[in-house]
Amino acid sequence: MIVNEWCMYCGECAGVCPQNLIEVREISLKINHDECKDCGICIKVCPVQALQGDD
Amino acid sequence: MIETDVLVIGAGPAGSTAAKHAALGGAQVIVIDKKSEIGSPKRCAEGVSKDGLKKLGIEPSSRWVTREATGVRMVSPNGTAVNLTEDKVKLPEAGYILERKIFDKHMAMDAARAGARIMVKTLATGMRREDDQVVVTAENMGQELEIKAKIVIAADGPESRVGRWAGLRTALAPKNMESCAQFEMAGVQMAEPDCIEFHFGSVAPGGYAWIFPKGDDIANVGLGILTTRTEKTAYQHLLEFVESNPATQNAQPVELNVGGDPVGGLLKKKVADNVLVTGDAASMVNPLTGGGIISGMLGGRIAGQVAAQAVADGDYSHKNLKVYEKLCDDELGESFKKYLKAKEYLLSLSDGELDEIADVFKDSDFETINTAEMVKKLIKISPKALLKLGKLF
Repeated sequence: MIVNEWCMYCGECAGVCPQNLIEVREISLKINHDECKDCGICIKVCPVQALQGDD
Repeated sequence: MIETDVLVIGAGPAGSTAAKHAALGGAQVIVIDKKSEIGSPKRCAEGVSKDGLKKLGIEPSSRWVTREATGVRMVSPNGTAVNLTEDKVKLPEAGYILERKIFDKHMAMDAARAGARIMVKTLATGMRREDDQVVVTAENMGQELEIKAKIVIAADGPESRVGRWAGLRTALAPKNMESCAQFEMAGVQMAEPDCIEFHFGSVAPGGYAWIFPKGDDIANVGLGILTTRTEKTAYQHLLEFVESNPATQNAQPVELNVGGDPVGGLLKKKVADNVLVTGDAASMVNPLTGGGIISGMLGGRIAGQVAAQAVADGDYSHKNLKVYEKLCDDELGESFKKYLKAKEYLLSLSDGELDEIADVFKDSDFETINTAEMVKKLIKISPKALLKLGKLF
């Protein structure tokens, strides 16, 4: 998962992550990549399209 | 290790209210918030009802009320407007438009005055059980902390990670999470500056667009969408709305806000051993309007009171905390169920149907028309309203 620099750390992605893998800090986003199953839900809900898959 | 009776995670309005009432109930309270400034950035259109504040016993202050909004203007896709004013109809979110950055701080200050200790820039990173208490791990300016608490109140917003650490199902499906984007703008030319304005239809698939006046020519101009109903992002829809809406033709943004709004209806299981979930984290949001300031604070107040009582009882078990669920369901759950039905109906309407309904109601005198007549009128133009709303009235 790539977090683009225009991410606004609103946390919507964390709220829909079925595995609770996204930690939203004040100005950074930490994703537990090891356990991520690439379901893509977080990418879809982002209000500003700040997340994108690796490929 | 820091020890406390009650740890509140998140200093939004719900968390601060919970902290205040837990402290007033005699508990030792710590509130942590991950941000360096409580209340900022806002993720909110900032409307609250007057009744709601009154119910919470909070006196409106000129420090955080930007203006009063006495009416609601609802606009259909072709621009037909239906205006409702407060003196004629009871309106859920009309009342005051806040300055959330200041309001949230003041609510936290009230918690502090009641005796709560506040730690800013402190992020909860995990939770574990120890004896009959919980230990929350946290980070503050590079320091790792451990806070041992008898009760944790999870007020961590739509992210709702804390509840999940406690085994509760606070994660939301995308169909229950409104994706929102908003500009605060100057130079907004509103048709009715005393009204909060709602725009329905394909302008905001699965939600609506709003213009909330903040005094002079300033307004919050935003929208919420369901990402299950559109391929565009909330931000793209916002740009289109601002581009096409007559009120914003000469307006300029001074702030962009984005975020999720949990609109699926009140979370059912809000309690685990040692843990209460409140505010947005428990979806304490009106599913129709998306408004959650007052409802979150009402839930927060109950959480604080229940937590203080549990501390006094010396019993932090799920069983002893369970009364919280019943109290929240009574306070919020029943009305939310009705609003959820109304929302389902609203979202089932096409742009054409919305225009037809607006056309029928645009000249209604809401002072003389009663609910039954209104529903009759609605069913005539939109027969499916009978099926979807019939039992509500």
